[in-house]
Amino acid sequence: MKDIPEVVEHEPSHRRAVGVLMAAVVGGLLTVAMLALPRENAPLPGIARYAMSVALPKWHTTEPVSEVVYGTRGFDTFGETFLLLAAVVGTMTIARRREPRQGFIGEELAGWREQRRIGESPAAEGDTEAEARQADAWEQGSGPQSATPDETPLGAPGPERAAAMTVVVRASVRAIAPVLLMAGLYLAAWGYSPGGGFPAGAVLLGVVLFVYVGYGYRRVERVIRPDVVETLELFGALAIVAIEVLGLVLKGSFSANFLPLGPVGTIRSGGILPAFSDAEFIEVGTGLTLAVFGLLGMGHDWSRDQGEPAERGSAGTDPPFPKSGPST
Amino acid sequence: MIVGNYLAGVALFCIGLYAVLTKRNLIKIVMGLSLMEASTYLLLLSFAYRAHSTAPVLLNPPNGQSAEQLAKGQVADPVLQNICLTAIVIGVAVTGVSLAVIVRIAQHYRTLDSDRVRAMRG
Repeated sequence: MKDIPEVVEHEPSHRRAVGVLMAAVVGGLLTVAMLALPRENAPLPGIARYAMSVALPKWHTTEPVSEVVYGTRGFDTFGETFLLLAAVVGTMTIARRREPRQGFIGEELAGWREQRRIGESPAAEGDTEAEARQADAWEQGSGPQSATPDETPLGAPGPERAAAMTVVVRASVRAIAPVLLMAGLYLAAWGYSPGGGFPAGAVLLGVVLFVYVGYGYRRVERVIRPDVVETLELFGALAIVAIEVLGLVLKGSFSANFLPLGPVGTIRSGGILPAFSDAEFIEVGTGLTLAVFGLLGMGHDWSRDQGEPAERGSAGTDPPFPKSGPST
Repeated sequence: MIVGNYLAGVALFCIGLYAVLTKRNLIKIVMGLSLMEASTYLLLLSFAYRAHSTAPVLLNPPNGQSAEQLAKGQVADPVLQNICLTAIVIGVAVTGVSLAVIVRIAQHYRTLDSDRVRAMRG
């Protein structure tokens, strides 16, 4: 084995003294403020008491937090949903590549062919870049790799290049994913958890990531594709708009309940609360998936930034629109 | 003594602020930002706490209370718990967008050092 050079952590930092001073001043001010705040013996504020007292009679739900999220403060949640949507759209816009694509990961093969055609070979950009590109290609399943690392002897030197993880991880994912998925659906459908659809959407992302990590992108690529996930996400957003606006149309107030209240403790109790929660589940689950896979899929756009024409020299990021043709 | 939680929240916030102010690595700046967000979650949930209270769940309340009694009795504040949920979602949104921007900065400038990202200077 070659001697590995010792990694020296070089940690650049700015103006430590100013940072300490600022943090100390803010901390001091906040401490003074915190000491004057009401503590655990203060009476509950009126709005909290109101939420507690209307949950059961008015909404037939035993979950005041969900009642606040989807009922009393439904407008707030509505805004928050679209804040999340805006963030997802922003992330997708920033993470977007120059050419349109079908999947999140491993889609740059078309670009490679084009680059080769116009005579820009990766080797021309220096050895480190070529190595990095090759490592990327292997990581994304377009290089010489096997489907699983099971044939590789234990302790073999070098990075693992298989798409999936070992049989231990795959078996665990196989065991955990259905249980986790069911738990997520339960959280959203029954809403017996603070927030209902929000934690459930995060659980859905967890399931997707488990399968992605355990089995590789190829196993989820039929479902986790921009066109499928984006459509689902906008469907969720549309459902939320419809639920909220129907309250305005039918009951005269935005986010009012227009559905019949089922018996307490059933899946139908709460009127629009479970419907809103389910729509939020779709919206949050797909939104987080889009953001995470957008981030996972980026970082492989090896743009020509060094020898590139000066038009992009002072721009902060890549041009947001795909170029019409090769610029060289 | 819930005031201990308050002060822990302040401490977390200040650690995050210090990281944002002094670190030059953009990823560490986002970590500091996340720490500041996390301090607000701790604070919101601590503000919701009441002495001898139970969770704001009206299904089978403890100590043989009825749901109506619990609604008038000692419970944690459900509104602040809702606001904490909102804060978590916003935190995720901010972190996601920041990381996407950082990946683009890293691709463009080939560095994560915020001092070397100078195209906006002057």
